[in-house]
Amino acid sequence: METNAPPLDHELMLAVRDGDLDCMGELFERHHGPLFGYLAKLTGDRAAAEDIAQVVFQRMLRYRHTYRDDGRFTAWMYHLARRCACDHFRRAAPIAVDPAELEGRADESRRADESAASRDDHALLQRALDRLDPGDREVLLLSRLQELSFAEVAAILECSVGAARVRAHRAMRSLRDQFCRLQKEPLS
Amino acid sequence: MKCQTCLDQMAELADARLDEGKAAAVRAHIDGCPGCRREFESLSRTLEVLDTIPAAAPSHRLRARVMGDIETEKLALRHAGWASSIRAAADSRRGRRLPWGIPLLQALGACALVVLGFALGDRAATQRQLADLRSRVDTIGQLYEQSVLQKRAAGDRLETVLAAGATRSPDERVIGGLINSMAFDPSVNVRLNALNALYVHADQEVVRAGVLACLRREANPLVQVAMIDFLVAARERGAAPELRRLVVDAQTDVDVRESARRAIEQL
Repeated sequence: METNAPPLDHELMLAVRDGDLDCMGELFERHHGPLFGYLAKLTGDRAAAEDIAQVVFQRMLRYRHTYRDDGRFTAWMYHLARRCACDHFRRAAPIAVDPAELEGRADESRRADESAASRDDHALLQRALDRLDPGDREVLLLSRLQELSFAEVAAILECSVGAARVRAHRAMRSLRDQFCRLQKEPLS
Repeated sequence: MKCQTCLDQMAELADARLDEGKAAAVRAHIDGCPGCRREFESLSRTLEVLDTIPAAAPSHRLRARVMGDIETEKLALRHAGWASSIRAAADSRRGRRLPWGIPLLQALGACALVVLGFALGDRAATQRQLADLRSRVDTIGQLYEQSVLQKRAAGDRLETVLAAGATRSPDERVIGGLINSMAFDPSVNVRLNALNALYVHADQEVVRAGVLACLRREANPLVQVAMIDFLVAARERGAAPELRRLVVDAQTDVDVRESARRAIEQL
């Protein structure tokens, strides 16, 4: 039966793998915004987030032959993104960096003016995010802001679906605790 | 339901990932328990603020850069197609196959082989192939320049070239990238540095063929002289026809002409 439904990400990536590189343009249009948002929050640096996002798409092109038939395009893309972000931090500071440590490093790179106290809810919440445990923040970015399923988060973080669910909900509670604490703190 | 059970499932409820049966039970407890209700309201409020944080948007440069990458990769695919056909023709003329894997390397190498074939005979057929190849290289050059310009600043490209030059044991891809930069980069500085980086690989036939092919399309006298010096240093006798052309061509820069004349004598 013929259908006018747009092709799935997986179908587009399979086409890219088979040499139809124009389909990568469509994948870019669909995903570059959320991917950039994820990287911007992960690194705390917009310029770095753009550079890393470009590298992610470069790697998708370069390693297109390694894309598997299991249909997990989003998980694959974010898996690459985590690795690219890790490479970025490794170049910035030539010491061993584990992907799990990324968030802590992002904190260090945030601009001083962003740490200025603000009663604005968004600013407070951003600071609460910064204060989260690195693993908690990452799982929250993926599950809540990127709206990925726990199966996808689990594939990206290389853990079980159950562990991804528990970590995500623990992260939400931690975020709430930090947010409430910041709301009660006096202006500095 | 006990408060602890409610608290355990509260995050899943707020995240709208709890199945309907469990969600109803947790909601019922929350409705009747002021403590759990306060907990749930604070959690919901936090997630509400989180969800409304304005999404960061990338600049328009990201799109231009990625689209440039895609176009460059498409070019590489196209090179692979036509370069293999030209290489096959050149191989059959020379009776051997070359072990090159990089598409543009293949193209540039094939260009040099066609030139060699031109020198050896079958002039009419080879002339047609050579003209066709030149036309294709020029077209590719324009496309490459567009994609490169969109992609990265000259300083970044220069850094890439310098890093490639510092690689101790470069593979075909690295050498192919250097030849690409020498052939098509719009910056004279980048082209010169790519050429310098290739000096240590002058013993490779593909590198010499690449420099020779690039000399043919190079318009900047400074780079032309540097390429001629390279070919002399590499004892590339196959460069003689191109050097003679430069000597007799009235359009050639006077310094380039003199450099080519001296190179012919040395070769």
